[in-house]
Amino acid sequence: MSTPPSSTRRSTVQALAAGAAGLAVPSLARSQSAPVRVGYAIARTGPWAGGAQVSQEPNFLMWAEQQNAAGGLDVKGTRRRIELVSFDDRSEIETCIRSYEKLMGSDKVDLILPPWGSNANFALAPLANRFGYPMLAPTALSRKLIDMHLPYFFSLLQQPDRMMGALVDMLVANGVKTIAILYMDDLFGLENFAALNAALKKTDIRVVERKGYPLGVKDLAPVLRTIKDQNPDAFIGITYPPDTILASKQSKEIGFNPKLFYASVGTAFQLYRNVLGAGAEGVSGMGSWNAATSPGAKAYFQAHTAKFGGKEPDRWASGHCWAGLEILTQAVAKVGLDRKAIRDYVAKNEHKTIIGPVRFEGSENVATPGSVGQWQNGEFEVVWPRSIATAQLVMPKPAWK
Amino acid sequence: MSFGAWLELIASGLITGGVYALVALGLNLQYGLMRILNIAHGEFLMLGAFAAWLAYTYLGVSPLLTAPIVFVLMVVLGLLIHRLAFRRLAATSPDLDVFEARGLMVAFGLMFLVQNFASLVWGGELRGYDYLTDPVSVGGAQFAANKLLLAAVALAVSVALIVVLRRSLLGKGVRALMQSPVGAQLVGIDTARLHPLMFGIGLGLSGLAGSLLSMTYAISPAIGEPYTVTALIVITLGGFGSMTGSLVAALALGVIEALGTHFGSPSLKPLLSYGLFIAVLLWKPNGLFKR
Repeated sequence: MSTPPSSTRRSTVQALAAGAAGLAVPSLARSQSAPVRVGYAIARTGPWAGGAQVSQEPNFLMWAEQQNAAGGLDVKGTRRRIELVSFDDRSEIETCIRSYEKLMGSDKVDLILPPWGSNANFALAPLANRFGYPMLAPTALSRKLIDMHLPYFFSLLQQPDRMMGALVDMLVANGVKTIAILYMDDLFGLENFAALNAALKKTDIRVVERKGYPLGVKDLAPVLRTIKDQNPDAFIGITYPPDTILASKQSKEIGFNPKLFYASVGTAFQLYRNVLGAGAEGVSGMGSWNAATSPGAKAYFQAHTAKFGGKEPDRWASGHCWAGLEILTQAVAKVGLDRKAIRDYVAKNEHKTIIGPVRFEGSENVATPGSVGQWQNGEFEVVWPRSIATAQLVMPKPAWK
Repeated sequence: MSFGAWLELIASGLITGGVYALVALGLNLQYGLMRILNIAHGEFLMLGAFAAWLAYTYLGVSPLLTAPIVFVLMVVLGLLIHRLAFRRLAATSPDLDVFEARGLMVAFGLMFLVQNFASLVWGGELRGYDYLTDPVSVGGAQFAANKLLLAAVALAVSVALIVVLRRSLLGKGVRALMQSPVGAQLVGIDTARLHPLMFGIGLGLSGLAGSLLSMTYAISPAIGEPYTVTALIVITLGGFGSMTGSLVAALALGVIEALGTHFGSPSLKPLLSYGLFIAVLLWKPNGLFKR
């Protein structure tokens, strides 16, 4: 079908007029450009929400708000507003995957942000890879996932062998002879448990007890009593937030106070200090940064606390999540929204972030060393390795208060 | 193992069991008496926990003071929910089996409503506070003060409920209803008043358990469901409608779980509780205490 000439002429005139208007008032053209649609699904309900709503989603919201306040996301020099398209995955893998399938397959959003937790990321990464969406995941801890060599998947956290390697180095450096291990029976717990055992093989440290527990455990006191009777120098808990708190409270209850008390996810949360009060002093756990790490980290910490009414970011994954958003922002500014180009940019460069330099080999962030944190006077300090430490390790841990 | 260690182990099982009992008794009132299988039971526990957390964190009110207030508020809420949903359901259902099936659907709806309400208001993250966590020594064993308190209140309320049902006229009416709803109506028991009241008390007990539990566990909108499941196991073990059965089954489950975790591994816990559940069902399909 041919278009009547008059119509063509009219549209040409219109286009010229619009172009002229655009030249005359550049801000008008800017505000008229389509928003950058960024999609994600994350847990707002269910058991994952506890972690997701501390370490991850608040950062997504703050990032979009900050970028939009600056006129929008810098897409190769053009500012375009960010429009977040988000779903509650209800802490269900199927819902999570289905939501992303919709986002990437039928909604065709410009970019995606990752879901929360090793399990969800494990399930999503191959799919995102097939659709060709870069994924900068701040809460995926799994060597198996790294070993899948998915070109579009990048993991920002230190992997189990690094975290457990750093912990064991610290134990050796501080003369720890015996330890007891309590770990959770899921991907995260089992991989860290295996990494811990592998790291321990190279040392003389004796393991007096190894016990697993299931998700949703309500009572750990009977196991902790067994461990207390064996009087190890250090307690290593590979735990999730509710169990981190449960194990700490119950250790206090039964008077189990080893020289080093280590628990995993959640120790670096503000919640831990709120719930344990003065009892938090001297407890160690997974942490890698705080406001003293860099000027950028300080600014981030303050902005986060101000935006969310005093809610502090956690001193581990929150920082890595923000670092991922920084990298994504830089990539889009450099190469625009071509996802292949973003992927290549992320893969091939070393990035400056609030947690220090980040560089990927395959899917793994190899620039951030494994680390250990410890509560000291109300702050979760990085105490190992010395290269990124913000304070010295306090050992033995003071009695529970 | 020393005597003190055994004491600690058994007592910690009894403490957990006491909490199970408190939650299960409420559900048993609702199911045993009215055949309302309130799948949302644990959600009201969660609401109670949030109420205690709010009162403590923002107003500095002790959870011990909040607990009875929560109980009363939950009873009122229960009366309201019964009036809005279950009364009409009872009037329009042709028989008790249909009522039970429809009631279950309504309860599922309630569960989502309450859980999402909590997520909307407080968000999905974990909350908690520090109250009476100092250890207390009892005969060579050590417990957190708040846990002992929790166990004491749970047991006292459970026993009080059983005594009231046994001894008072109200209790006689309730028991008559459990045995034969039609017979009870024939001898002049006012079901229109007794049903809502018992439903309310059921919710009240759940809320009470929640406000006490918030002293010992981190809370989030998702904490309710596991308690509903445990309560279902307990009332099935003890026999529907049997309050003493629920209490004994709850305490036994608590102790068995504690022993299993100590001598085996915490990962065995679900195996133990469900194993026990299946064994009892095979041996006594109507529950341990159903005559």
